[in-house]
Amino acid sequence: MIAGNSTKSGGPAVRLENLDKYYGTFRALRNVNLSVERGEKIVVCGPSGSGKSTMIRCINRLEQHNGGRITVLGAELNDDVGNIDGIRREVGMVFQHFNLFPHMTVLENCMLAPMIVRKQPRAEAEVRARRYLEKVRIPEQAMKFPGQLSGGQQQRVAIARALCMQPQIMLFDEPTSALDPEMISEVLDVMVTLASEGMTMICVTHEMGFARRVADRVVFMDAGEIVEEAPPEEFFSASRNERTQRFLSQVLGH
Amino acid sequence: MEMVVVAPPAPGRLEDLKRRFFATPLQALLSLISLAIMVFVVWKLLNWAVFSAVFTTSGGPEACQAAAGACWSVIAARWRIILFGLYPFEEQWRSALACVVVVVMTVLSCIPAFWTGRRIALVWGAGAALYYVLMKGGVLGLAYVGEEAWGGLALTLFIFVTTCLIGFPLAICLALLRRSELPWISRTTGLVIDGVRSLPLISILFTFAIVLPFALPQWLQGDKLYRVILGSALFFSAYQAEIVRGGMQGVPAGQEEAAMALGMSYWQRIGLIVLPQAMRNALPATINQFVISFKETSLVVIVGFFEILASGNAAYGTGEWRFAYVEVYAFIAFIYFIFVFSLSRYGAFLERRMAVGER
Amino acid sequence: MVSLLRNQKVRNALLQVLYVGSLAAMVLACVMIARRNLAAQGITSGFDFLFKSTGWDVNFSLLPATANDPYWWYFLIGIINTLFLGSTGLLMATVVGTIVGLARTSSNELARLLGRTYVDIFRNIPLILQVFFWYAVITHLPTPRAAHQGLGMLLTSRGLYVPVPNVGNLAMVATAVALIAAVVLPVWLGRTARLSRPVGERLGIQVAGAAAALVCAAIILAVGRLPDLPLVDFPALQGLNLRGGLRIPPEFSALAIAIAIYGGSYIAEIVRGGFKSVGKGQMEAAQSLGLSPWRIFTLVRLPLALRAMLPILANQYVWLMKATTMGIAVGFTDFFMIVALTINHSGQTLEAIGILMAGFLAINLSLAAVFNRINRAIALKGNQLRG
Repeated sequence: MIAGNSTKSGGPAVRLENLDKYYGTFRALRNVNLSVERGEKIVVCGPSGSGKSTMIRCINRLEQHNGGRITVLGAELNDDVGNIDGIRREVGMVFQHFNLFPHMTVLENCMLAPMIVRKQPRAEAEVRARRYLEKVRIPEQAMKFPGQLSGGQQQRVAIARALCMQPQIMLFDEPTSALDPEMISEVLDVMVTLASEGMTMICVTHEMGFARRVADRVVFMDAGEIVEEAPPEEFFSASRNERTQRFLSQVLGH
Repeated sequence: MEMVVVAPPAPGRLEDLKRRFFATPLQALLSLISLAIMVFVVWKLLNWAVFSAVFTTSGGPEACQAAAGACWSVIAARWRIILFGLYPFEEQWRSALACVVVVVMTVLSCIPAFWTGRRIALVWGAGAALYYVLMKGGVLGLAYVGEEAWGGLALTLFIFVTTCLIGFPLAICLALLRRSELPWISRTTGLVIDGVRSLPLISILFTFAIVLPFALPQWLQGDKLYRVILGSALFFSAYQAEIVRGGMQGVPAGQEEAAMALGMSYWQRIGLIVLPQAMRNALPATINQFVISFKETSLVVIVGFFEILASGNAAYGTGEWRFAYVEVYAFIAFIYFIFVFSLSRYGAFLERRMAVGER
Repeated sequence: MVSLLRNQKVRNALLQVLYVGSLAAMVLACVMIARRNLAAQGITSGFDFLFKSTGWDVNFSLLPATANDPYWWYFLIGIINTLFLGSTGLLMATVVGTIVGLARTSSNELARLLGRTYVDIFRNIPLILQVFFWYAVITHLPTPRAAHQGLGMLLTSRGLYVPVPNVGNLAMVATAVALIAAVVLPVWLGRTARLSRPVGERLGIQVAGAAAALVCAAIILAVGRLPDLPLVDFPALQGLNLRGGLRIPPEFSALAIAIAIYGGSYIAEIVRGGFKSVGKGQMEAAQSLGLSPWRIFTLVRLPLALRAMLPILANQYVWLMKATTMGIAVGFTDFFMIVALTINHSGQTLEAIGILMAGFLAINLSLAAVFNRINRAIALKGNQLRG
């Protein structure tokens, strides 16, 4: 309840201060500082192993940070169990490998969490689930099982599932990396729509076109630290950082 | 084209036979040896069990003993004691009905429609309760029959069902505890599981039946039957826990992460996401474990219970049927065989079906 | 206080302390109650009883045993009996299992059917029922006076009597070692010589190894021979009883036969699984190299199948070793029965249970250690080999 109240207060949506994270002796995050305002869209990019996934997984505590502070919607993410539950309710996440529940239908995937976590009545949860499935443009697949859908469709269901919890912040962890090329745009389209409606979004992705169109800021990470943080026009055209330039030339293919 | 159509079927069959059984000299030899063994065993067995056997009780044990073949009259004379033990004669229909309840329950739980946690628990809970009421009586106008009078197949089935009923939830608990992120909980549980697994079942049954009364306060001791069932359930759960844990390891880590990201609590994640998938992975091994523990139920004979093996020993052990031990053991073996064989065939069928349906 | 309980770290620590603590408390309470109950019966706890004489007999022992022997000696006898019965059972089960397993994987349909029938029947009947059955069969054999005879052996309701050489105990053990060496040595020599030497030379080395071991056995027999007695002691009827030879009691035979047959059906399935796991590609590669069927079997199929089988086989062996505890059902004094008898006679319940657990832990761990060594020695190097 404390978390529920505190999430309503003002301030930035997410604030990371001097964040540190170790895997054994390996330092995955070094001194990361980032502040995300409400309604802001952030694209995080960087070479693989640079700590970008680890960073956003710290935000809803799929990983525990070892040092520094994480404040989400005004509540600090510490060892307080109540805060963790409260924050996870308000933060939706979309994974690289979709992680839909294979033993439930698409509709059940979307209704489950609202019913058991938010305690919504079944009828209300179903109406909302169908609305979000409509929004990601696959209402007709509601009664199918995830295994019967294509990768792109599964990822859109995963987005709908996260939205059904009516989160205030959405995290995307490389949502298009596991998809066949022809399916990437259908997922990105949904994300663009979402962005236009004012959702606070933090996306780890290599889709630079998406970053250019949607992002308010692009964050470039390498070796566990934030190397550069800039609006997209500046990031893509005027970056003077050598590491950024090397990365961009690899991603953009020339 | 025409050649094929005209080709007479008889030589084709002969060719086929030759190709299948006599392709090389070694193959021919192997076929002949196998055939000889088969003919010999089948003939001997049929001769003993059918052609030269005595089936009626009319001649009494003497005529039966004189026969060259099996003396099935011992079964005709003693089947009640083998199946129902010392259960009161007029009430034995209850014992029979209770056995039917167990069989129906087992068959029901083999149907996929019952494979949700709640339904399977309902079937087994209701089955066990029905069994208990039928056997024990004291209500609904049924005469009271204490546990000490239960015996034979009925007792075997009771021990098996209660072992599973207690052992299965315990196995899930143990598996969850061993999988815990908290190192001391998982380590201690691991120690318990591995400790139980390293001991022979007989020694556990013995400890629970005979040693435990020394180590428990009076009010906790309970009946010897239930102590033994508890021991057998503990043994079952130690093995089943590892099977469940194996099934959980087969569930991708992303599943639990997704559930966490949606804000589900630990019990919601386990009960709704992890366990349903893990149990599906673990199904063939689980059925195998059921088969093994059904066979192992027979070990309670050693701590002095009058289950089917002991009642079989009693059926031929006293008086005039002393010579007819082979027939009695064959009968009991046949009963075990029916249960175990059909269950393990079912398990093999499931395994094949799941292998085909693999995503 | 409330906020402290909501702290994840505090909560985790508390849970662990609670769990481990309550388990330990339960065990401790049981031990304390047991000690009090036993003390009330005049039984002092501690391991002093190990050095008192037992006052009862065992019916089977490879070591000399009398009722005056102390408990620790009896425990040793029990362990050795268990290991002896276990290894006899394992050996026989492995032979049966290999034959049936090969039949199940053979290309001959009749042999496959035969193997499958065997497995289906004997796997699905509880081991203890089979033990009872064989025990009943053996104890219903004719009395010594009407014994079945053959090869100098006598088969009676009191067991199987086999001829034994009249040699000293030490020489007997040494002979057994030499005979085992005669089997193991050629295999080992064949393995170490591998493919680098021509076939003829390898065979020569193997034969020489076997011959040397056999000669050793003969010399030991000759030297260790007891004076003034015939070399071989044949069992024979004297009055109503049988004299001479070595008596294998019905309890032992019934257990060994049942374990061999039941265990064989499980090992057959393991063998079959092992051969099934050898990829078709390996076989095709061997065939395309022009190897003969026999060499394909010995050089490709068997070695690969063995590697796949071994871990599962190890589990099965541990299981079979534990199955020797069924000895108590027919009165074979294995380790567990000795423990049970000890509890009955001396009342030293806690100590005896402790020794039982330690004994089986030791047996299991040493079996596991042996198999791990073998596994590591033959494991395929690298991890790119299996698809």
